[in-house]
This record gives sequence, structure tokens and C-alpha cells, in this order.
Amino acid sequence: MKVMSAATAPALRRDPAQGIAAGVCLGLARRLGVDPLAVRLAFVVAAAAGGLGIVAYVIAWAAIPAPAGAAVPGARRARAQVAAGGGLLMLALLLSLRELGLWFSDALVWPVVLAAVGGGLLWRQSRTSPLPSESPPRAEVAAGVYRGGFGVALVVGAGLLFLQTNGALGPARDVILAVVVITVALALVLAPLLWRLGRNLAEERSERIRSQERAELAAHLHDSVLQTLALVQKRADDPRAVATLARRQERELRAWLWDPGAPTPDASLAASLRAAAADVEEAHGVPVEVVTVGDAHVDDGTIALVAAVREALTNAAKFAGDAGPVALYAESADDRVQVFVRDRGAGFDPAAIPGDRRGVRDSIIARMARHGGHAAIHPAPGGGTEVELTLENVST
Amino acid sequence: MRERIDIASLVAGLVIIALGTLLLLDRVDVLDLRFGWLVPALAGTIGAILLAGGLANRSP
Repeated sequence: MKVMSAATAPALRRDPAQGIAAGVCLGLARRLGVDPLAVRLAFVVAAAAGGLGIVAYVIAWAAIPAPAGAAVPGARRARAQVAAGGGLLMLALLLSLRELGLWFSDALVWPVVLAAVGGGLLWRQSRTSPLPSESPPRAEVAAGVYRGGFGVALVVGAGLLFLQTNGALGPARDVILAVVVITVALALVLAPLLWRLGRNLAEERSERIRSQERAELAAHLHDSVLQTLALVQKRADDPRAVATLARRQERELRAWLWDPGAPTPDASLAASLRAAAADVEEAHGVPVEVVTVGDAHVDDGTIALVAAVREALTNAAKFAGDAGPVALYAESADDRVQVFVRDRGAGFDPAAIPGDRRGVRDSIIARMARHGGHAAIHPAPGGGTEVELTLENVST
Repeated sequence: MRERIDIASLVAGLVIIALGTLLLLDRVDVLDLRFGWLVPALAGTIGAILLAGGLANRSP
């Protein structure tokens, strides 16, 4: 036996996407746990009995909400509902006053109402028009044009209705015809000119954007590349300093060209590692090659990891920098970060480190252990030393 | 936990009850609901439901 309690029954929602019209019958059927065909038949029978089904359907359409995330955004839908509801209530009030006899005349009131609605739309459109410097989304521009056009049509329609109901449209017909003919003729004459003007404006705008981009590029090249080249000329006698300057400039230029929205070191482990490598490279003049795979959030654990990596890089640069570049490889995946710092030096025995040398023991091994991580030092394949740092339970 | 009142549903229910009462009174000849009164009654019903729904959706 099928039992549907209030707790398990779906919320009453229309389904316009799958329903035949507005999805009212489908929504009611789902809520009641019956076949949608039965609800549809009930509405059809009610519609045949004096049109009651149609009225009930319209009321249900207004009363039953569409599912969240429907095509129309919530705020816009709410505004449209308020506007439509207010308009219908106003219409009901006017019709009631008319029925009670508190009425001037149809020839006056309806044109005034139409003109007021059209004027209201135009006023609202002018009030919400964006500043020229802003570039609103295309959909908003289209909505504004439709709203403004609808407002103009209502005001013009109200004027015509007023003239018609007061018998003044007959004499005015010749004037209106002349105005329409002149307007069409002017449009035909001016259309090519206006089209060319619009095209020129668009080209001018594109040229202005290109010019701004060129100016920005020139300013950046002046502030970075040209300044670095001047420094390189000054320090031409120090190859290591020149190499360091060149690598720093290369990093900065690559980041500006291909990764302008890269996260900052305070928000990304990969960025923190790159910043630490750059610092060590600049301080010791030894190239550090960085490769990162994946990324992780910065927290106490990863801050400690970056500090340990910095210490390992510093050791490698100090004691094995002459043997070649230092390699830093970091991989973040599945709540786990693994970092390898590898140099090409002569290597060393961690057990033989004197007791008063606390760099490796405290700053790397003990620091990682305090944060639940692990550090291991072993000979690198092909010579040199590899420091392996592992941290678990990281937010990647 | 105490449930929040759904104002839109409440207003919708009340105005539909009012409309139903009017139609019932017309049916039993207590009042004469002519077309001139039926249209504003329907427009008012739908308008009140839409307005209440829109205001309820707009408020956070």
C-alpha cells in the first residue's frame, strides 16, 4: 500500500518545464500523489462547466510558485509579481468605482490610466539608466529598450485613444498622416548617415581601447623590463647577479603575461612555495626550478611546510649552489602535500650533523613533526641530496 | 522548531475563500453578482495573490 505522509510529499510547485501549459496540474498531481491525467481531466471538466476550471487554473498559476532556479531569477520574478499584482488590484479598484458610478467617463479615465502607466515606465527607465562610462550586460540593455518602447507605445496609444473617443481623431488624421510620411522620408534619408555615424563611433571606441592597452603595456615594460635591463648593464661584471636579475624578471613577466589572476602567497600553497623559492634565489644567487602540481589552502600546517621548504632551499643553495640549480617539486592531491627539494651537491649524512647545528633537525624535521607531517633526507638519484616533506590532512 | 507562516499562501487562501463565498452567495441568490462585479473580483483575487507572493519572495 502506498502511503504518502505530509513529511514525504513533495512541496507544491508548478513545473512549467514538463507541464503542458504552466505546469499547474503536474504540480498538484505530484503533491497529491495521483496521476497527472486525473488532475488535468478534472480541470477540463470544470472548464466545460461554465469556465470555472479556467478561472481556477489562472488562480492556481498565480498562487503556486515555480520551482527555485527556474528561468527567471528570484528577484526579477518577485518584482514582476509585485508589478502585475499591483496593476491588477488597481484595475479591480477602477472597475469597482466604475460599477459604483463614481466615474468621470471612459473617454477620459482609460486614456489617463494608460498614459500614467506608460509615463511611469519611461520615468523608471530614465531613473535606472546606467552612466555612459558603465557597460551594462546586453540582456539589461535589451530589457531597458523593451520597457522604454512599451512605455512610449502606451503613452502614444493613450493619446490616440483619447482623440478617438472624443471624436477628434478624424480632423487630426491628415496631420498624423503627414507626420508619418515625413518621418518615414527622413528615416530613409538619414538612415545611411546614422548607420555610418554608429560605425564610426564603434571604430573610435575600439581604437581607444587598443590605445589604452598599448599605453598599459608600455608602462609595464618601462617599470619592469627596461629597469631590469638597466640594472643588468650596471652589474655586467657579476654573472650570478645578472642571472638572478634575469630569472626574477622572467618570472614576473611570465606571471603578468599568462597568469594575471594568480592567487597571492597568503591564499595559495603553490604561490607561497614560488615566493619562497624566489626569495632564496635572490638571496643566494642560485637558480631554483619550481614545479607545482595542484594547490592547497594556506593554514598553520602549510605555513610550517613552507618554512621547512625555505630552510631546505637555503641549505641547498648555501652548500650545493655551485653544483647547479636547485629543484623544488610540490604535489598536492587528496588532502596530502608532498614536496621534494633536490640539489646536485656532494651530499651529506644527516646522522653526522653536529649537535649545535640545528637547521635541519629543528627547522625541518621537528617543525614538520609538530604539525603532523614527516621529513626525510636521502641521497638523490644521480647524486646530491633530496629532502622529502610530507603533510597529511591538508585542505586542497 | 516553530514553522514560519507563509504569508503568500495565507493571503492566497483568504482571497480565494472570499471569492468562493461571493460565488456561493450569488449561487443561492443572496446577492446578484453581475459581470461588471465579477471581473473586478477576479482581478482583485489574482492581483492580491500575485502581490503577496511577490512581496514574500522579495523579503529575505
